[in-house]
Amino acid sequence: MKETILLTKHMRENPEDSHLLKSYEKNGGYKGVKKVLKSGTPESVLEEIKSSNIRGRGGAGFPTGVKWGFLAEDQERYLVINADESEPGTFKDRILLERDPHQLIEGMIITCFAANISKAFIYIRGEYAKPARRVQSAVEQAYEKGYLGKNIFGSSMDLDIVVHLGAGAYICGEETALLNSLEGRRGEPRLKPPFFPAVKGLYNKPTLVNNVETISSVPWIMNNSGKDYASLGVEGSTGTRIFSLSGHINNPGNYEIEMGSSFGEFVESLGKGVRNEKSIKAYIPGGASAPWLRGDQLDVKMTIDDVANEGSMLGSGAVVMMDEDTNLLFAAKSLVSFFAHESCGQCTPCREGTTWLENILDRIASGRGRASDIDLLLDVCDNISPGLTWPPKMTTICPLGPSATASIVSLMKDFRSEVEVLLPKKVVVS
Amino acid sequence: MTEKITFTVDGKTLEGKQGQLLIEACEDSGIHIPRFCWHKRLDPVGMCRMCLVEIETPRGKALVPSCTTQVTDELIVETESNTVKKAQEGVLEFLLINHPLDCPICDKAGECPLQDQTMAYGPGESRFIEEKRHFEKPIPISDIVLLDRERCILCARCTRFSDEISGDPLIEFIQRGNKTQVNTFPDEPFKSYFSGNTVQICPVGALTATSYRFKARPWDLKKVSSTCNCCSLGCSVELNVSQNKMLRILGEDNEFTNQGWLSDKGRYNFEYLHSDNRLTNIKLKDNNSFVDANISEATEKLKNKIEELHNPDIKFLIGANSTNEEYFVINKFANLMNRNEFLSKDKSNVYFADDNMFSGYFGENHQNASFEDLDSSDVIVVWSEDIKDNIPVLFLRIKKAVKNGVKLVVLGHTNSSLESLADLYLGQDVISNNFELKTNLGNIKEFQNIIENKKVTIIVGKSTPLQQKKYLDNLVDHIQKYSQAKFLNCFTKANTFGALQHIDQIKGLNEFCNEYEESNKNIVFTIGANPVNASFFGSKIENILKKADFVVSLDIFINATTELADLILPTTSFGEKEGTVTNMEMRVLKQNKILPGPGSALSEWEYLTMISKSLDKEIKYENVDEINKALCDEYENNEELPSFENLNKPSNLFGMKNRKNIDINIKDLEKNDLSILMVKRLYGDSSTQINSPSISMLGSERFIELNSKTLEKFGISSKTANLIQDQHSIFVNIKINNLLPDNIVLAPINRRGFKNLDPTKDFDIREATNMKELSVN
Amino acid sequence: MTWENARIDKAKEIIEMYPQKRSALGPLLYLAQDKDGYISDDSIVEISRLIGITEVQVQSVASFYSMYKQEPTGKYLLSVCKSISCEISNSSNVIQKVKEFTNLSNNETDDEGLFTYESVECIGACGGAPAIQVNYETVEGLTPEKAVDLCKWLKEEQPKVVVADELQLKFGGTKSFDWAIEDNTGSSSPVPGFQTYEMQEEI
Repeated sequence: MKETILLTKHMRENPEDSHLLKSYEKNGGYKGVKKVLKSGTPESVLEEIKSSNIRGRGGAGFPTGVKWGFLAEDQERYLVINADESEPGTFKDRILLERDPHQLIEGMIITCFAANISKAFIYIRGEYAKPARRVQSAVEQAYEKGYLGKNIFGSSMDLDIVVHLGAGAYICGEETALLNSLEGRRGEPRLKPPFFPAVKGLYNKPTLVNNVETISSVPWIMNNSGKDYASLGVEGSTGTRIFSLSGHINNPGNYEIEMGSSFGEFVESLGKGVRNEKSIKAYIPGGASAPWLRGDQLDVKMTIDDVANEGSMLGSGAVVMMDEDTNLLFAAKSLVSFFAHESCGQCTPCREGTTWLENILDRIASGRGRASDIDLLLDVCDNISPGLTWPPKMTTICPLGPSATASIVSLMKDFRSEVEVLLPKKVVVS
Repeated sequence: MTEKITFTVDGKTLEGKQGQLLIEACEDSGIHIPRFCWHKRLDPVGMCRMCLVEIETPRGKALVPSCTTQVTDELIVETESNTVKKAQEGVLEFLLINHPLDCPICDKAGECPLQDQTMAYGPGESRFIEEKRHFEKPIPISDIVLLDRERCILCARCTRFSDEISGDPLIEFIQRGNKTQVNTFPDEPFKSYFSGNTVQICPVGALTATSYRFKARPWDLKKVSSTCNCCSLGCSVELNVSQNKMLRILGEDNEFTNQGWLSDKGRYNFEYLHSDNRLTNIKLKDNNSFVDANISEATEKLKNKIEELHNPDIKFLIGANSTNEEYFVINKFANLMNRNEFLSKDKSNVYFADDNMFSGYFGENHQNASFEDLDSSDVIVVWSEDIKDNIPVLFLRIKKAVKNGVKLVVLGHTNSSLESLADLYLGQDVISNNFELKTNLGNIKEFQNIIENKKVTIIVGKSTPLQQKKYLDNLVDHIQKYSQAKFLNCFTKANTFGALQHIDQIKGLNEFCNEYEESNKNIVFTIGANPVNASFFGSKIENILKKADFVVSLDIFINATTELADLILPTTSFGEKEGTVTNMEMRVLKQNKILPGPGSALSEWEYLTMISKSLDKEIKYENVDEINKALCDEYENNEELPSFENLNKPSNLFGMKNRKNIDINIKDLEKNDLSILMVKRLYGDSSTQINSPSISMLGSERFIELNSKTLEKFGISSKTANLIQDQHSIFVNIKINNLLPDNIVLAPINRRGFKNLDPTKDFDIREATNMKELSVN
Repeated sequence: MTWENARIDKAKEIIEMYPQKRSALGPLLYLAQDKDGYISDDSIVEISRLIGITEVQVQSVASFYSMYKQEPTGKYLLSVCKSISCEISNSSNVIQKVKEFTNLSNNETDDEGLFTYESVECIGACGGAPAIQVNYETVEGLTPEKAVDLCKWLKEEQPKVVVADELQLKFGGTKSFDWAIEDNTGSSSPVPGFQTYEMQEEI
């Protein structure tokens, strides 16, 4: 198995200065946008994106062309790049921001051209200080060259880009929470309806919210074609995708591949196998929110639909491998703590439930578990995510609360005995 | 009209309106879905998740909050399925794991939705064995509100109210997730005119009022609906009484008027009813001191005085707190006492105690607006006294209209608090320090663009007694020329409009002062009026009452006016009398009695009938129902009558437009340059407020407002100074208000120390170097 | 006025970038934290004036985000990741060693005002787990020993500007990806070195 290098091409070939405008341009950068501005129309760009069948890379996998098509008419419209990459296990946007910021900027210009937008924001998580500096300096270079600002590239198009830093709230990766945050509010998800960003987004104006990787793919699609892009990968998961591989792996990192190989192949050929020649006990196929798969499910194909068929999700493309020695109770506890810490606090079940789950897991981990605790854990999970199915049914506004139940449900479904040994035996009086 | 649709709930077919929220549509059909965060008057947030129901979707059944889901045609809903019940019970359990079990000492117990839900559906025992969240409890967040964060269930009702409705977001969520709490900023307490509403809508005992704390249990309360008399809006209220003591006033949701809200003054200005200072006995002045008397001594004394003076002039200074029935009798009595009985029109002997009263805009050429018109008009234009301070809930109605897209134009210089809501604020470029229009409004392009060919509601009144009416006419005529205009005459005091409806002709305090001089034999009745305090004419009237031959005061307290009386007749007050009142949109509403009056206090009409009897005059009413009938008899047959019978119906909301020509015979004061703009603040030194301990301190701050340019002239850098005029000097806090014009200071007329200032004379502001020496006054 | 002129100028410049003033709240809170090491009440008042919202609204937003500190922090904010990839890569050992060396528990600051310690959720360094941030400058592929060395070095050298690349070279190991060239930008206070960067030199 090999990587298919589209988005990461420039940074690999020019490691010493890939983040600079000079280097990006020397290697064919900003050609696509010039072509589009000269001879393209918004409709032709949209057509190209639609024909590429690219789906959003943030986690939800919504078809990008369709999303752009939903954008309501208004004089003021905005593009917001979601660079709030915070899903545990995920670090793919970090490399795109840090190593090839101009690719993103070019993608943004094309997107804004297609959607008739003149103000865009890049919302970068606060912990990504260095990537943010790189992006900011790239934006400044682009302004200097006249690639941003008024009449860019000598055309009639205006575009301003503001780089905005988040401040430590995973929930802001949820697009409506991100918009609240960008408006200087608490990062609480909004109600959908009525706040679908494409209709009522930033400042209640129609807004496109797209992931870094999605928009970074746009220049390649325009330089080549939507059809070329669609010919890569498999149906329903076209093009390439950058997977972040971490955990007990010899060679962790970001890998750009066509979707369709199995997780097992991925781990063996690109990840160079499991550390210390151990076997995998369980793995997370798509970020901390995703239900776990077992070590005996490594032959599952890395496509959106295949993973969904196994009751999990490809999500943000973060693959975390856990070997046979992993204490899965601690792993679950870490994940649940994460969600409890990141709950915005709006919805009662998430606010109260995630912390309660964390408390119970703490109790079990420290040997103070009760015989009834497994039932209690699952029932509390059920009250957050009724039926414990995936994709989850929700008692909450956004999926954060239900995501917290994924690891507990996985643990109890496939590794229950690891918890049971820590609990006192149920006394059955007959 | 919104489209009617049908939907199915638990197998029953119901009707609703397109776009209506499911929870509300169900409520309308008698199906109650439990909820904590949803409130009819607030934007839905879908946070508590208690109102989850199941609906059918193309992808199967889904749990959705009924407070954020709109009903659509043929929607199928289940509110009692096992999934719904499990989810709701789950939410309840989640809410309870951190809720203290202090119901026995909680004010809310007995009327607490959380307690009720728990009793009905709650788990029998707790599965939560961890330590509950702890906070210091309770903490005062203002002079009148306490916060207990342990009880709080984070429903965001208080935060939404203060942000969306009252526009003073001083209470907010702090922290996030499981650590979230509601709080205020340390140095900026919950200083809002409307804070009490958050106490009322709090679904648990997290927000409580100092005035009601530990006073009663809900099941011990006697309750009656009534109408607030704090201003001319006519908010619907519920009076709560226990053991003949008023303990609490709640807002009632009257769609046409207050929509559930009250100002804190309306809500907490009631403790005076039980003050030891209340007048309980008739008092006659004997050698400069009052002695108790009985009613026959009193009427005898008055009768003798009238005879002794041989046909004296008898004048009536009336206030705004009487009921329509009382005004009806006052009118009859005043006519009987008028030397010129029913002679020429401008010989009325009734003077209304409101400095800013003028002839207003009534009659055929000026269509009266309802509050509803605020929402349905395109533009609201305001030029009047400060709305937020004088008719607080009207401020909320304007804010709501603006939120829904109605444009707002505000003319200076008294409505600074509306500026942030306004699309256009006309300040000193357009309006002079004397409240004159400096230019033709047609020359102001922005103004013209906003109002032209639009539906405009004009809220209009004099901003100061010195304002010349012709400038208001200019505004009114201009808008009428270019747009479709309706009017709300901005007379701010309680039942002013009831007085206008039932007194044949009303004059003002300036007329009183001038006409007093026409006679050398004067008897003055003051009825619920205190013009010596907090009036532009205060010192003039004080001198008049001092030299009058005889002064009779009907009132509830000894105050600056009544202490000058020769005879004081103690009257009943709010909650102690029954009658009707008319609000500023001419809507008649009912006030009800739930308390006995103190001591031998009687209604104003009772005294007046007794006096007329002693004078062998013909006013014969046995009870207030009779007066109400007589009052109704004067209506045309086809009108809806404001009879007690009609008003006591559950749908007691009648609109009554100008029953007869309103006759206000008040002329402009002589033109004079204004240097001190005297305004009335919501809280001041009225007898009722200083005798209500919970709110008495709120009107104690002495301050002036001025723009920074004016302040600079006086070279003051500190936040306090002395305001000086002649021999008067007042130590004041200085507030910058850059909406005020240059060379003018704004001062509160209803705060102690300001009443002797002359608004037309020069003043000085000096650094308060030696506070003691300077603040003599 | 509690803010220096340069800081107020910077704040106004940032406000200008946004269609609505309130959007600048986040960046302004970083300016506040850069000044005092946390969001002081004085700064809250200052910001509320600058963007025209109430103090408690500022506080409400500030307290929502974990990177805005409500208590004073030390010169170096040590944030050790404890999320899943780090957790299964023995971050607990790193945490234990750093806590021992600094003698601090979670969210504590030492008396000298040198270190603040916190264990944090995912910082996007999962491929280089376990990882730490010093004033939001990332160091990947740590060992407990190297983590202690890092703290010692900070204590001895007390660099004015903390630079990720420098720390990584000295104390790091496996990285999430190739960082390629060496970058000498960094952070000079317990806030991300972004926007505050140039202003620092002026003050």
